[in-house]
Amino acid sequence: MSSQNSSSALLLRVAVLGVAVVFFQIGAVSEVPVFGVNVDLSPLLVAFVGLLCGSTIGAVNGFAVGLLVDLALLQTLGVTSLIFTLIGYWCGRLRELRDPQAALTPLLVGAGASAVSLVGYSLMEFMLGVDAPVSLELLRQIVVGVVVNTIAALPMWAIVRRSLEGALPEDPRRRRRRRAYTTGGLSPLSRS
Amino acid sequence: MYDKTVRRRRAVLILLVVLSLLLLTAYFGEAPGGRLHGVQRAFLSVVSPIQDGANKALKPVRDLFGSIGETLDAKSQRDQLRKQNARLRAELVADQAEKRSYRQLLALYHVDQLGVGEYRPVTATVVAKSPNIWYSTVTIDKGEAAGVHVNDPVVNSEGLVGKVAQVASDAAQVDLITDSTMGVSARIGTSRTTGIVQPKVGDPNDLLLQYLPANTQAQNGEYVVTSGTVSSGDESLYPPGIVIGQVSSMNEETGYTSVNVHPTANLHNLDIVQVLTAARGSRAANLAGALIALPPGQGSSAGSSPAEQLASTGAGG
Repeated sequence: MSSQNSSSALLLRVAVLGVAVVFFQIGAVSEVPVFGVNVDLSPLLVAFVGLLCGSTIGAVNGFAVGLLVDLALLQTLGVTSLIFTLIGYWCGRLRELRDPQAALTPLLVGAGASAVSLVGYSLMEFMLGVDAPVSLELLRQIVVGVVVNTIAALPMWAIVRRSLEGALPEDPRRRRRRRAYTTGGLSPLSRS
Repeated sequence: MYDKTVRRRRAVLILLVVLSLLLLTAYFGEAPGGRLHGVQRAFLSVVSPIQDGANKALKPVRDLFGSIGETLDAKSQRDQLRKQNARLRAELVADQAEKRSYRQLLALYHVDQLGVGEYRPVTATVVAKSPNIWYSTVTIDKGEAAGVHVNDPVVNSEGLVGKVAQVASDAAQVDLITDSTMGVSARIGTSRTTGIVQPKVGDPNDLLLQYLPANTQAQNGEYVVTSGTVSSGDESLYPPGIVIGQVSSMNEETGYTSVNVHPTANLHNLDIVQVLTAARGSRAANLAGALIALPPGQGSSAGSSPAEQLASTGAGG
């Protein structure tokens, strides 16, 4: 019963966070260009939710955020959902398989998610057909976009983690490792 | 238990991917009046008041960050504008006589009385903007209820902004001139040769005026304006003479000339725009060659806006 309550609270927080970030993105962040590109918070949100909550919630959140973006901006339905589903799932799997704890993890995950989002979008658009000539400047836009998003990754990580803190399920693997450290099992000191 | 978790995880992923692909295929294959497009428009109608509220609430945040960037650019812009101002002042003096006779000609054709007001402009506020480099679109807070239709041209004080792509009751989506789907029939300055202005995808500061005759000549800085004709059967009919941008360079292609054009409207920072709701129809076609004034408030009298002066002289700045 308590586990059910906790997962409902988590889903509610993820949903509220998703809606808030998408509206903040299209209402404010998109209108402030940085180095000629716009910071895109949505792939960062999807990646960090996946990294904190796991692959299933990550994928579902990615799909929902993508759908919301496509609906709100009247874009081709399904494109953003597809890309964000994969980003959310992969970031969730990263947590489940490796559980990275390094301080730079959010930066790297943010950069990776932004790159996948921008390149994936371009590939999808090419596959769907482009009538207009494509400039080489697109490559620069993608690279600068990834850099700018990477800069935004750390504050975004802090916001996502703070928003979901308290509702996140206790990870058995992490608990085992913490116990092992505190009881000396894996401590480098005890091994020496 | 572990197998069950793995199976469920994979099933969720496959389900979502398949759902995305189904949505994509259905949306891409249907007509603009189809069900999914209808769902999007209905959604926009529901969220546009929220977007409007969020836009107003977040304006201070936007302005704060915007002002930081603007301050950094201000110095170089000031120097550039001083030079431009000096050159334009000299040109203005030289053009006074020519302008007087031009006004008389316009009066003969009763065109000087037709400002932008003739196109029933609807003033709208930009409430949302796509962050995607592939979709140069903005959402405005006026829709069908205010008389906005699909394909209506959208301008601001600096020139052509784009055209209405989709309309909901109280909101509309505008494709900017840098959107990959856009094509605008245009000419350089006062010349009669026309071409099609298309965006260069990925470069929001560059447009391409294509399919000009091989011997076309243009000076850097010359203004490119709408020609008032259609580029294809179902696209909007832009009124003639709306400034699109300035020539930045010329390219000789095999069989035709293309010209790089720098858009005059600052599409990164759109706030107030005007939708010309009566631009379609025969009036604009009858006025081909004539120049319209830009939105009211930018010029004190008909035809005296800076954009019109520049467009009429074809001079660069």
